[in-house]
Amino acid sequence: MKLNFVILIALVLFSLWTVMTRSLIRSAIGLALTSAILTIAMFRLNSPIAAVFELSVCAGLISVLFVSTISLTHPETREEAMQHMKDRLTRFWYLPVIVIVAVVILSAMRMNLHFNLPTPDAEKDVQSVMWNLRQLDLFGQIIVLLTGVFGVVILLKEAKKK
Amino acid sequence: MISLLIFMPFLALLILNIPFKDITKKDAFWAVLALSALQAGISLFPNASFWDSASDVIGNFFKLNLAIDSLSIVLLFCIGTVTFITALVAKHFITDQKRLFNFTSLLLVILAGMNGIVMTRDIFSLYVFIEIAAIASFILIAMNKDIDAIEGAFKYLILSAIATTMMLSSIALILLMVGDTDLSVISYAMKTSERAPIIMAAIGLFICGLFIKGGLVPFHGWLPDAYSSASAPASVLLAGIVTKTVGIYTLMRIMISAFGFDNTVKTILMLVGTVSIVFGALAAIGQADFKRMLAYSSISQVGYIVLGLGCGTGLAIAGAAFHLFNHAMFKSLLFVNSASVELETKTRDMNKMTGFGQKMPVAAFTSAVATLSASGIPPLAGFWSKLIIVMALWAAGHYAYAAIAVLASVITLAYFLSMQRRVFFGKLSGELKDIRETAGGLVLSASILAAITIGAGVFFPFMLNVFILPIANMIGR
Amino acid sequence: MTPSILLLLVLIPLISGIASIFMPKRASLVSLLATTLNLLISIMVFKQGLSYSVPWLGFGIDLSLRLYNFSAFIILSISAFSFLISLYSVVFMSGRHKSNQFFSYFLINIAFATGAILADNFIVMLFFWEGLLLTMFGMISTGTKEAFRTAIKAFIILGIADLCMMVGIALTAHLAGTLTISKINLPIHSLGGVAFILLIIGAISKSGAMPFHSWIPDAATDAPLPFMALVPAAFEKLVGIYFLTRICLDIFILDPKSWASPLLMIIGSITIILAVMMALIQKEYKRLLSYHAISQVGYMILGVGTAMPAGIIGGLFHMINNAMYKSCLFLTGGSVEKSAGTTDLGKLGGIGRKMPVTFACFIITAAAISGVPPFNGFFSKELVYDGALERGVVFYLAALVGSFFTAASFLKLGHAAFLGKISKENENVKEVHAAMLVPMIIIAVACIVFGVYNYLPISVIQSVLGEARLEGHNFWGFPANMTLVALSVIVLIGALLNHLFGVKKFGSGLKAVDHIHYAPGLSQIYAKAEKRFFDPYDIGLKIVGAIARIGWWCDKFIDWIYDNLVVRVTYIFSDGIRFAHTGNYSFYIVWSMVGMIAVLVFLIR
Repeated sequence: MKLNFVILIALVLFSLWTVMTRSLIRSAIGLALTSAILTIAMFRLNSPIAAVFELSVCAGLISVLFVSTISLTHPETREEAMQHMKDRLTRFWYLPVIVIVAVVILSAMRMNLHFNLPTPDAEKDVQSVMWNLRQLDLFGQIIVLLTGVFGVVILLKEAKKK
Repeated sequence: MISLLIFMPFLALLILNIPFKDITKKDAFWAVLALSALQAGISLFPNASFWDSASDVIGNFFKLNLAIDSLSIVLLFCIGTVTFITALVAKHFITDQKRLFNFTSLLLVILAGMNGIVMTRDIFSLYVFIEIAAIASFILIAMNKDIDAIEGAFKYLILSAIATTMMLSSIALILLMVGDTDLSVISYAMKTSERAPIIMAAIGLFICGLFIKGGLVPFHGWLPDAYSSASAPASVLLAGIVTKTVGIYTLMRIMISAFGFDNTVKTILMLVGTVSIVFGALAAIGQADFKRMLAYSSISQVGYIVLGLGCGTGLAIAGAAFHLFNHAMFKSLLFVNSASVELETKTRDMNKMTGFGQKMPVAAFTSAVATLSASGIPPLAGFWSKLIIVMALWAAGHYAYAAIAVLASVITLAYFLSMQRRVFFGKLSGELKDIRETAGGLVLSASILAAITIGAGVFFPFMLNVFILPIANMIGR
Repeated sequence: MTPSILLLLVLIPLISGIASIFMPKRASLVSLLATTLNLLISIMVFKQGLSYSVPWLGFGIDLSLRLYNFSAFIILSISAFSFLISLYSVVFMSGRHKSNQFFSYFLINIAFATGAILADNFIVMLFFWEGLLLTMFGMISTGTKEAFRTAIKAFIILGIADLCMMVGIALTAHLAGTLTISKINLPIHSLGGVAFILLIIGAISKSGAMPFHSWIPDAATDAPLPFMALVPAAFEKLVGIYFLTRICLDIFILDPKSWASPLLMIIGSITIILAVMMALIQKEYKRLLSYHAISQVGYMILGVGTAMPAGIIGGLFHMINNAMYKSCLFLTGGSVEKSAGTTDLGKLGGIGRKMPVTFACFIITAAAISGVPPFNGFFSKELVYDGALERGVVFYLAALVGSFFTAASFLKLGHAAFLGKISKENENVKEVHAAMLVPMIIIAVACIVFGVYNYLPISVIQSVLGEARLEGHNFWGFPANMTLVALSVIVLIGALLNHLFGVKKFGSGLKAVDHIHYAPGLSQIYAKAEKRFFDPYDIGLKIVGAIARIGWWCDKFIDWIYDNLVVRVTYIFSDGIRFAHTGNYSFYIVWSMVGMIAVLVFLIR
């Protein structure tokens, strides 16, 4: 049970970081981590198919983001980066506040977090879902990720050349 | 052994990227050529044991949900051919070995992705493969690295992301309602259950996502920019096959195999198709940029396919599939020719071009073939597909749609003839006296495509029996 | 023998024709090889009944070919002629401009002609028939500089006729309810009559009868000679008359009592007389022959039109005979052209001694065409006379008059070209190459054989008609009606006397018929005819010109509407669309969203 709390807190923190960090690349990394944690959470909540889908979507999304960031951004100077960071903080200052307020309210209400989880399906553990039900997606995800990496490498190299 | 069509390009990509001593960067080009030619070749034999799913050892071992029907085979042929042509064009355009290697590797990825789209029978895998093709196309467009290309790629990216969101929401809703992502299960559920609003919403979202991917009016905003700004080989690939497979084929597949033809859905498809036909044709008339004109004409031609699909009868869908095939051929051909013209003159402005036919006879002849086929002049292939679509519309009682389809064909002829006259006919102007026919690769690819366009028209009976009637029978009615 | 061998007959020339475009240097050999193969195959399948059919376009349009005694006979003739002319052309066309184009059209033409003969489905036949038109256009245009205009003339005349035939075929198919030719058998009345006339127009225009003839004399001077020897002399007759006979015997029932039979006979008689009158005054070797090519068709149409067994057999026999002697005559013309460099009769003369073999062939074939016994032309003409006399003495007289002028004009031609004094330019004229002589000799010998052993061809032709129509008659051997024979001989002698009279009066063979040419009344008509005053094509052009001027004004008006209305409206739309595409992607997103909402609202409602 405690693990669930850890995961929840990590999820909130990473998503905050994703929104508020200074550069697009960091945001993308943050999003990747967020969705990875979300996937773990879904597995723990006994919905492996949703977890697998989340993984696929996120793999695609992250690759797209990486590609677009790499192709669109140009290297920033330190001053620019700091300025950017300040802008972000002033723009989204209310987000951490909302989170903290929400936590306070929830704990004050002593919400019962013991949901009735669906009984774990014996066959539908991570492995069986990955290997027995959705191999094609798995394969597709691998290609998506590799393509993303490939694209990042190509575009980075091209950018360096310029 | 159909799963090989997905695995082979991927395997080739892996092997080429492992730094073996014997494998040079050049081999990527040959690998693409060989794989795409093989694929196109084997698609000509729909009865070969290759297509037999029982013999698909790898697929059965992994329990992949792959299947083939006549529609998929037509698409596989188009994919193979256009990829082949793109590789040839790329070889000619990209002189840097390193960049050529990158380009051809991405071609392998796209090949695997599109083959996956065509063969998979699972709505979620469909999404994954669409994503593969999409990512690879972004990279292809952005590789050109000038500001236009990045802008084009960015617009494509943004609208694609919106399309992805729509499709994902739709898949989520479907998973919620049906509990499975297999197309046949969805189809069964759609047939048996009542059409609840949530199901209709799922269908609508998915279709809209595909409208964006296929570039139909009013979801087309990204298309002219992306087509015209991409590098020549990338635009051949993108216009010729990627958007057709990702957007239009998927739409056909999802309608035929999963959603079924509901009257309201049919109306939407036909409306969107007709609006695209008219809008695309009218927009194409006013364009001075060669590639932008082709892009708008793509919108118009895709409209025909969707109009045929929306009619919903077996014959109409078969006609739409045949038009998809024809469009892949003649539009790639026109983009190849625009590439040769651009290569020689360094401009895409048609107002500056005149009389190139004297120096570039092959380009002039083949684009005449393509434009005539696109405008539906017998005996070229485009005539037959439009004829089938119009006949089917007429038979189904959609007289107004049929009439608009025929009239729009006249506008098509008008803007293509004006293009042909401006670019290839007339007198050669002084500054451009020393242009010449581009070298082998482009001429070869233009000739291949022109030969297919003429051949499919002249040997229409063969096409009818081997490809079109099976599709019509598959759908029935 | 598998029926699919019939496909070979079409495919061999077709493929080798296409191949010869790509092999400019080997084109003549390819053509020789292909025609030899075709000849062998057609000998193999002769006397067999084969039919081949595969589904083609659907809707009852099958690719069906049928070989039976009649078509086998025509196919054999076609392949024999094409072989001989191919052999001749190897030498004749060597070193000429565009010779590989010529061979390729030549071979494709053979393929289409074979296809048109074999086709047992109207649409398939039409396909090959129109193909013939295209290859003919191509073949004529490979000739002299003027040839292109002639090619267009031929194309327009035959194109219009083919259009009529197309409508006729549509009507026939509608009436019969099938497209399979061998299943059709219609009576000629009301709508059937219209269909009959339209089909007849197609058939006789292909064979070059009046009034669809006027391109042939022009082609004779402009087109390459082997074309003349092959197409107007042999192929057009074989294909056209074959189809005419099919129309009269199988597709429709031509009853002697119906109006259709006299119609055909009148067309035939007029063609005979007018064309031969024109031939008489020509001063150019090939042009003279070409008018005979028209005139002789008259005999065939007359013969088939009689609807009497004797006439039909005579007409068909005449068709094959004419193909033989006419192509041989054209070949002699080609030999003269090749060695003397001209075919203008004014510049020729006396070369008979220099070219003995050519001259001998000329004599035989000229005698055959004039109807001198015992050559083949004599027997076929006698049969036509026989049939014509049964139907009316007018037709017989027309045929007889035609015969007189034919003989007279050939006496003139032979005299002017081969006899008389030799001019200085022609002193060095030599006999032509053996490969050009062999085809001529073979055909000339065949002319004698078909005359003396006329059992050979006539028995085949009789089997076409079938026992029922023959009523036990046999038409081979020497003509039974000796009175007719005597009359024919008298006419021939008359022609000879006329010639001698002319030569004596005007002093040369060339001017031997001037007393007819400049006879009072006739001379003015001739002068106008020479200026193409009576050419239906030119008359047609004038009418079309007048219509075109009216049309031009209408067109101006419609143009104005288009320019000011349609185009402007289109451009307003188009500019509006361009204006809307600002390139700002947020707009595009908004459009997509609006579209999506509209779709969802429409779907859920």
